[in-house]
Amino acid sequence: MSYICVRELEKRFVIREKRKKGALLREKKTVRALQKVSFDVEQGELLGYIGPNGAGKSTTVKILSGILTPDGGEVTVGGRVPWQERREHVRQIGVVFGQRTQLWWDVPIRDSYDLLRDIYRISPEDYRTRLSELTEALQLGDLMRTPLRQLSLGQRMRAELCGSLLHRPELLFLDEPTIGLDAVSKLALREFLQWENKRQGTTILLTTHDMEDIVALCPRVMVLGHGRKLFDGSLAALLGRYDTVRTVTVSYEEAEAVPELPSAIPVIREGKNLMITYCPDEYATAELIARLQAAGTVRELTVQPQNVDRLVAAMYREMDL
Amino acid sequence: MKAYLSAFRMRRKMELQYRGAVLGGVICQVFFGLILVAIYRAMYAGKPQEIPLSHITSYVWLQQAFFRMLLASDPELMDKIRTGSIAYDLCRPLDLYGFYYVRIMAQKMTGSLLRAVPMLVIAFLLPEGWGLMLPASPTGFVWSLAGLFLGLLCVSALENITMGFTMRTLDFRGMQALLNLLMMILSGNILPLTLFPDSWQRVITLLPYAQLLDAPIRLYTGDTPSSAVPGILLIQFFWILLLTGAGILFWRANQKRLEIQGG
Repeated sequence: MSYICVRELEKRFVIREKRKKGALLREKKTVRALQKVSFDVEQGELLGYIGPNGAGKSTTVKILSGILTPDGGEVTVGGRVPWQERREHVRQIGVVFGQRTQLWWDVPIRDSYDLLRDIYRISPEDYRTRLSELTEALQLGDLMRTPLRQLSLGQRMRAELCGSLLHRPELLFLDEPTIGLDAVSKLALREFLQWENKRQGTTILLTTHDMEDIVALCPRVMVLGHGRKLFDGSLAALLGRYDTVRTVTVSYEEAEAVPELPSAIPVIREGKNLMITYCPDEYATAELIARLQAAGTVRELTVQPQNVDRLVAAMYREMDL
Repeated sequence: MKAYLSAFRMRRKMELQYRGAVLGGVICQVFFGLILVAIYRAMYAGKPQEIPLSHITSYVWLQQAFFRMLLASDPELMDKIRTGSIAYDLCRPLDLYGFYYVRIMAQKMTGSLLRAVPMLVIAFLLPEGWGLMLPASPTGFVWSLAGLFLGLLCVSALENITMGFTMRTLDFRGMQALLNLLMMILSGNILPLTLFPDSWQRVITLLPYAQLLDAPIRLYTGDTPSSAVPGILLIQFFWILLLTGAGILFWRANQKRLEIQGG
């Protein structure tokens, strides 16, 4: 049996909405947050979990972490049912909710870690080695005596991550961990997650809207939309279906250069620069470049693949999300 | 057990960060105390009551000194429920009720001790007829300390029930306003319970709110004869058991139907 085993998972929420007419009346609406979702995750996997807002990602994470009781289906994590054996289950997991905080606001972060040590009953020796290892990897050494409220967002995220990993969880849930981080912090965080996954063999389930996170970290991606599983496989396989278009940017020495191209290919002109979007399957790249060169003296030419975000947007559109 | 102790120490440490608030609290409570004492002095000048004035002024000062113990006053926990950060606490291998109970207790204990010590010193220094009297007897003093501790357990259990209501309504204001009003009146903070008509007192002193400060204060001033001490402590024990048990069941029911909303 797989480490995480999810079968036909169902969750409904009742939402009360105000009616358009009548200030006091409310309408009940049932939202099916998860509809018969099934998947397996093996130990040591790094799984990316994507989908537009409101797809049911966080609901899945909450069920898997034992906070929420589902309305139907079966879930086991390491052989345990999360919401039935909550205390035993949560001992083995770590969670980072990108938008919330687990550390204490007004006290130095080291004190929050000491409390976590006692909560998870980590032995003093193990605590010492683990803490120094994590503080080094996450560059928290100088911040240990600083109250959480004085940390920047990026520092705080690193501090949160450290707190979630102190007890060496088998399974780590990351809910939008790179939200609001600058480029350097994002790269450092990704590097750290890879390191943790390799070294500790931690199974990581990552939900994010940042496609760069997925590209950098996750060999396997699962797409969720309207509470259904839409795709489960490698990122390359997912994008292959949508990644059909290339953009060529060319700048000429002369301003009047006009390449002869089929009218179906859109060209955007900005002075001496042209931006051409085409599909290599329909129009040969060699032919295109030859025609561009024939039109004038090319100073610079770049071919770019589609931006991952656009691909995902196209995919969501096609899946009608 | 270590985890709960550790959480207690942590909350105490956090409370110690707000030293400015302590000063503000002391000034405010001294002000209130002086006004209340002045009112009772005026009342007594017209028509002396059965209870000696020094008992009443002592009652006022002890109420003011431990004011911080009474009201539901931990915005941190309320915010956790409102914003959903409670999700993290649900991911801990702990009993949630106990985890919150020790934090409430630490906050109430540290917060009120920090204010009570300077306040009681000030109250002792006030002139005769205005300030705090010495305890009626050494044994009475020891019993009143025990009573105060039991009162702390009782009020922490009460507040944890308020917290349970917050988990249901997602906004603490309504329930808290109601419970706080009841608490202010029935704990003797607005009018000492010793001044209520005797027939009222017979009922009011049995209610949970009277166990918080009224019971220990009566033990301190000696309004309770020593023969009645076991009875008072027994009532306190009774309420602690009942409120804690009810709170645990309430929280358990809450946890089953809990939803952490939003992503």
